[in-house]
Amino acid sequence: MTPALQTEALTKHYDDGTVALQDFDLTVPDGAFFGLLGPNGAGKTTLISAVCNLIRVTSGDVRVFGEPADSLPARAWVGLAEQDINLDRFLTVEETLVYHGGYFGMSRAQAEARATEMIDAFDLRAKAHTRAPKLSGGMRRRLLLARALMHRPRLVILDEPTAGVDFELRTELWRYIRQLHSEGTTILLTTHYLEEAEELCEEIALIKGGRLIARDSADGLRERYEATSLADVYVKAMAA
Amino acid sequence: MTGMAWLCKREILRVYKVWTQTVFAPVISSLLFIVVFGLSLGGRIRMVEGFHYREFIVPGLVAMAMMQAAYSNNSASVFQARSDRYINDVLSAPMRPWQMNLGVNMGGWARSLAIGVLLLAAAIPITGVPVHHPLFMIAAVLLGIVLFGALGVVVGIYAETFDHHTFVNNIVILPLAFMGGVFYSVSRLSSPWHQLSHVNPVFYLVNAMRYGFLGVSDANQWLCLGVTAALAIPVYAWSQYLFSSGRKLKA
Repeated sequence: MTPALQTEALTKHYDDGTVALQDFDLTVPDGAFFGLLGPNGAGKTTLISAVCNLIRVTSGDVRVFGEPADSLPARAWVGLAEQDINLDRFLTVEETLVYHGGYFGMSRAQAEARATEMIDAFDLRAKAHTRAPKLSGGMRRRLLLARALMHRPRLVILDEPTAGVDFELRTELWRYIRQLHSEGTTILLTTHYLEEAEELCEEIALIKGGRLIARDSADGLRERYEATSLADVYVKAMAA
Repeated sequence: MTGMAWLCKREILRVYKVWTQTVFAPVISSLLFIVVFGLSLGGRIRMVEGFHYREFIVPGLVAMAMMQAAYSNNSASVFQARSDRYINDVLSAPMRPWQMNLGVNMGGWARSLAIGVLLLAAAIPITGVPVHHPLFMIAAVLLGIVLFGALGVVVGIYAETFDHHTFVNNIVILPLAFMGGVFYSVSRLSSPWHQLSHVNPVFYLVNAMRYGFLGVSDANQWLCLGVTAALAIPVYAWSQYLFSSGRKLKA
């Protein structure tokens, strides 16, 4: 089966000389719930940016469901919720979703119907006609996730989706993400919450200094590092 | 409707949502120029190139308002999108670079055209300015808004702070417009100012517009149109290059 995501020898050197990724190989199977763990600066966001065409890679290959990541089909298959809130300040909640759907090739009727669905799913109905800057932090986070899912992507990339989110909303987002995964969507999740990775992900990759240092299920990683918890695994792997 | 059409629509929606700033204010400001300079002071100025002064200044003022609007709209829109990082929603979408470039340019063009139409609708009855060569005028308008719209996109992509966007408008475009013959005919200038005026790119756009309206210009009308086109094409190609290469848009 064609993997959802495959990188080969992916390398990114920023203009200031920072090596964010070096010969990075990763395969994420279709339908997986895959976690990426690593400290700040490990290369997680750079990897995601490479998949979503938000950086110019130095060398290497990135494929999404077998297609080059910069091809139009591959772009249409990926949905991204970035770590930082990056919502269009001129658009209302509903417009944010409808326009995103339009950018990703949906017709007006499809985009409007799907936006209604997402507004209800993420409990944004009361603020449907409010501009993004006037939303609360939690509402913005929901909208960000709704936007990422708007065009029904096959691969959803969530870059620390629950950072700064209260327990209730986090639980709610988990429930929605799980449901999405159960419907066959591939999820790539980066998080600093180890319990979140353990709870949700079938497989976890540990990244440090732009290199993949381990990947396995949570149980497999515990066994390999002779650790009792994922937190211990993380500490041992990063100290090595 | 393609992704590009949605992007065009988004840029036009932005203009519409803040229409008091984007359209109403520039129209009022240009009309004030016409009233103050054209009607109040115009009576004290002799005919210029065979036209009343109030008629003579209209083409230049329309050109100035439109090019400033095309520039400032696109530079502000692109800078805001980069600064708040919602441009990533466009950059990650299944659109080709030329579609992204055309889409972000569209807002400035739409805003300019709205201002131009409203100014004409007000200026023709107020001043009685004729339109001798409407097709020529339309060609000059289109080339002018492509030139300054694309310049706005380029500056919006390169700008590190909002000051950079206003700097180019206030320190480059506005002085060039004033010295490009908006309020006077450069044929009345003595040497070397007369010759130096011909180095100013805005001079050619103003005079192309003036020919379209009045049928007169300080330089050959085809040269004016040609120079404006010769500037518009590389500047638009520059903004296209930035989207194609990702330079300054992608780390």
